[in-house]
Amino acid sequence: MRIFITENMDTARLNRRRFLFFSAVFGLTSLATWFVADLYWRDTEGLTGLEIALLVLFVPLFAHISVGFCTAFVGFYVINRGGDSSRISASLPSDARPGLASTAVVMPIFNEDVSRVFEGIRVVFRSVQQTEGADYFDFFLLSDSNEPNQWIREEVAWAELCKQVGGFGKIFYRKRRQAINKKAGNVADFLRRWGKNYRYMVVLDADSIMTGEALVRLVSLMEANPSAGIIQTAPRIVRGESLYSRLQAFANRLYSPLFLAGLNYWQQHEGNYWGHNAILRVQPFMDHCALPDLPGNEPFGGRILSHDFVEAALMRKAGWAVWLAHDLEGSYEEGPPSLIESAKRDRRWCQGNLQHAWLLTARGFRPANRFHLLMGIMAYVSSPLWLLFLLLSTVEMVDKSAVGNRDVYGAADTTSLFGYTVAVPEALTLFSLTMLLLFLPKFVSVVVMLGRPAEVALYGGRGRLAASAIFETAGSMLLAPVNMFFNTKFVLFTLLGQGVAWVAQKRAADTDGTDWREAIITHGFQTVFGLFWGVSSLILIPAYFAWLSLALAGLVCSIPLSIFLSKVGFGRRARELGIFLTPEETSPPADLELLERNLAECYRHLPPLEPLRSDYGLMQAVLDPYINAMHVALLRQRRPSAVAREWFAKLQARLLREGPGRFTAKEKMALLLDPQSMMRLHRELWRLPSESLADWWRLAIRQYNVLAAAPTTALYR
Amino acid sequence: MAAVSQAPGGAQQQIALPEAFRPRTGTMESWNAAYVRVEDYLRAHRIHNRLHQSRLIQMVLERAARRHEENPALDPTTIAAEETEALMEAWFAEVLEEKGQPGDRVAVDGRVALLLCDGPERWPYAFLDEEHVPADFVQAMRTTHLNAGPDLAVSSMVPRPIDLGRITEAAGETLERFERWPILRALLLWMLFTAALAGIFYLTR
Repeated sequence: MRIFITENMDTARLNRRRFLFFSAVFGLTSLATWFVADLYWRDTEGLTGLEIALLVLFVPLFAHISVGFCTAFVGFYVINRGGDSSRISASLPSDARPGLASTAVVMPIFNEDVSRVFEGIRVVFRSVQQTEGADYFDFFLLSDSNEPNQWIREEVAWAELCKQVGGFGKIFYRKRRQAINKKAGNVADFLRRWGKNYRYMVVLDADSIMTGEALVRLVSLMEANPSAGIIQTAPRIVRGESLYSRLQAFANRLYSPLFLAGLNYWQQHEGNYWGHNAILRVQPFMDHCALPDLPGNEPFGGRILSHDFVEAALMRKAGWAVWLAHDLEGSYEEGPPSLIESAKRDRRWCQGNLQHAWLLTARGFRPANRFHLLMGIMAYVSSPLWLLFLLLSTVEMVDKSAVGNRDVYGAADTTSLFGYTVAVPEALTLFSLTMLLLFLPKFVSVVVMLGRPAEVALYGGRGRLAASAIFETAGSMLLAPVNMFFNTKFVLFTLLGQGVAWVAQKRAADTDGTDWREAIITHGFQTVFGLFWGVSSLILIPAYFAWLSLALAGLVCSIPLSIFLSKVGFGRRARELGIFLTPEETSPPADLELLERNLAECYRHLPPLEPLRSDYGLMQAVLDPYINAMHVALLRQRRPSAVAREWFAKLQARLLREGPGRFTAKEKMALLLDPQSMMRLHRELWRLPSESLADWWRLAIRQYNVLAAAPTTALYR
Repeated sequence: MAAVSQAPGGAQQQIALPEAFRPRTGTMESWNAAYVRVEDYLRAHRIHNRLHQSRLIQMVLERAARRHEENPALDPTTIAAEETEALMEAWFAEVLEEKGQPGDRVAVDGRVALLLCDGPERWPYAFLDEEHVPADFVQAMRTTHLNAGPDLAVSSMVPRPIDLGRITEAAGETLERFERWPILRALLLWMLFTAALAGIFYLTR
């Protein structure tokens, strides 16, 4: 294997690659724009105001999809040649074992499923322990959870996990009192406290899994490439159960290699950071990536929400390389279980990406980073632009039909190309070109895979792979207009000043999936809009209706589609039929198998009694002598003022007398944050005669001791 | 009261119940409640060894009964709970060598140590035993620590302003001005809406 030395990267070669890539985007966009301009020109021998507006909209929209197509096309070229020699993983032979260095694996969490978080950490920790580099890694769970139950469950799970895996001194837990600046602030808080102890930091999401080998390899790559500031891996989407998440996982697994190889081809050391499943060089990150606020207030200004792209740009600005290790195995994440959950995630990402508009012209940013920021913005802004384009096109058609021209860019038209008259139905050509750009990469991915019999078997065989790809394509065609509507709404909301609250992301699927009420509330407007649009088109310009039908079908069917895709039952049935199979499902890696087994055991345990459930964490922290002691031991000792003491005393008395039912989350958190209150509550609860306690506490004492057997897993009693 | 049992060698042996303990003050109901509370508290400490649990309950209740005789106005449950706490704090202070420390802090340290070394499970007769505490138990209690984070290595990470470029800076200043003047913001919104209407009107003529 030829070793790629990143320090000696050939600039002329990189420039040549970029020139070819962007020229291809430019060429395709120019060709399509020519077709469109000619199409508009022919009917009236000139361009109307509306047509100019359509043309102006068309150019960036087509350029945007051309970027995706060209990336995949270049990826196909690279893969067909047997891979790119200029990639970060080629800088170190796979069997090389350079020295490792101290590395912190950090996982910021916020009201996440505690079982999933800690079983995930158990798997990663265990996997690292099986490598020769175990001594170099420390693990940090950085909690910003603001729900009392969640916080206590995290503490219990952390202590139990450490006991079970011998993790004290290797696995650490930190809960911030004030969740300043959300996830970026949480990581920055870690760096300010302990960053100096580590040369590298691997950032994981709450649903991330990385194998020990992948982590060791990442550290080795950083050691071998002293100019590398960030190496981002390409996580595979796994553990999907609903039809929606399995569809996404299949698409990610089958199509992404082409896109990732293409991305690496032109971006090289000027890659992007996606916020997790990546390794960062700590000192330069601390020196250059503390983020300031943007001008104005949220949602458009204020704190930078999507910090990762900006951090990559700042690292590049400071001269550090940012690489994409697209071929590194052993990096996984989970996807949202339903269309609605996916939209909720997009709502946050949309706001974060729109904020990047401020940074497009920032001084010192590299052009590649500006392009990454622009693509992030376009991922959302393209939706309202597409919607506007389609609506204006409808208006244009209505306009034409009103003056008696009922030809909808039909066949038998001709175009003039460099003086030659070419007889082509241009609208169809243009439509075909657009479809080609959108679907050819998928088709090529399938063809590439069909040429690898061993891998095809992991997708269930040729027939099932082809069938899955067809279903996925149909699904994505139906979903595209729905997502367009969602994103349009999100962009408008952001522009009108509607910020987004920081809520926990739902990652696991409910067995029942999305219910009808939620689906109707979420997709009702889309359905009505689609019906109105469709019926009016059908009446006014029936020929145009056919062109719109694909977009309309998704909108009109959005309610049943959303429900159908969210069902775990349908996901399982599809799996039994061999649809949307991925290699991670047919031949799961050992770490993922272990995670599944452990989680199955966790979820088998019965939840607490219904009346106690909503405040079970608070109950444990007050009632259980061990959890109370551990919680107090983890709190910072404070000396509150006399006024505060008095307030706390009243709260304590009220809690024991009335139970927690009427307490606000803020009051509960205040008590939980005060060590004196927690010690006093524990003491008083056990001292007071039953008749002085609220019924809730009497029930708690009675029931808790029924449940208080020895812990059976890390997380459940 | 005594019972007769058959010893393995065939000889008959007289087994006496432990010396009778009866609180001289308070009602049976109140002492039953105190008994249940102490039992619950010990079970909450995962003391599932019934024999050991019974001995401890009796010890606590005897001490509580003596105090109750001195002050019958107090509730037996409260006194029993206090006696349990005192017993535990003294025991923890002895084992952890933390005599002289505030009782509640000693109890916190003791319970954490007990949890981390799995004391009640691994040494089912030893917890709160004032005479026979195995050396390895004491060792385990003294060496376990709840370490939520390594030693601090504080460093600075100060946000640096990003030079947004002249145009963006100007746009930012304008935006901030608009945010200070909500009327301006509303006017701008109406102007944009009017422009959009005019645009659509013109484009569709």
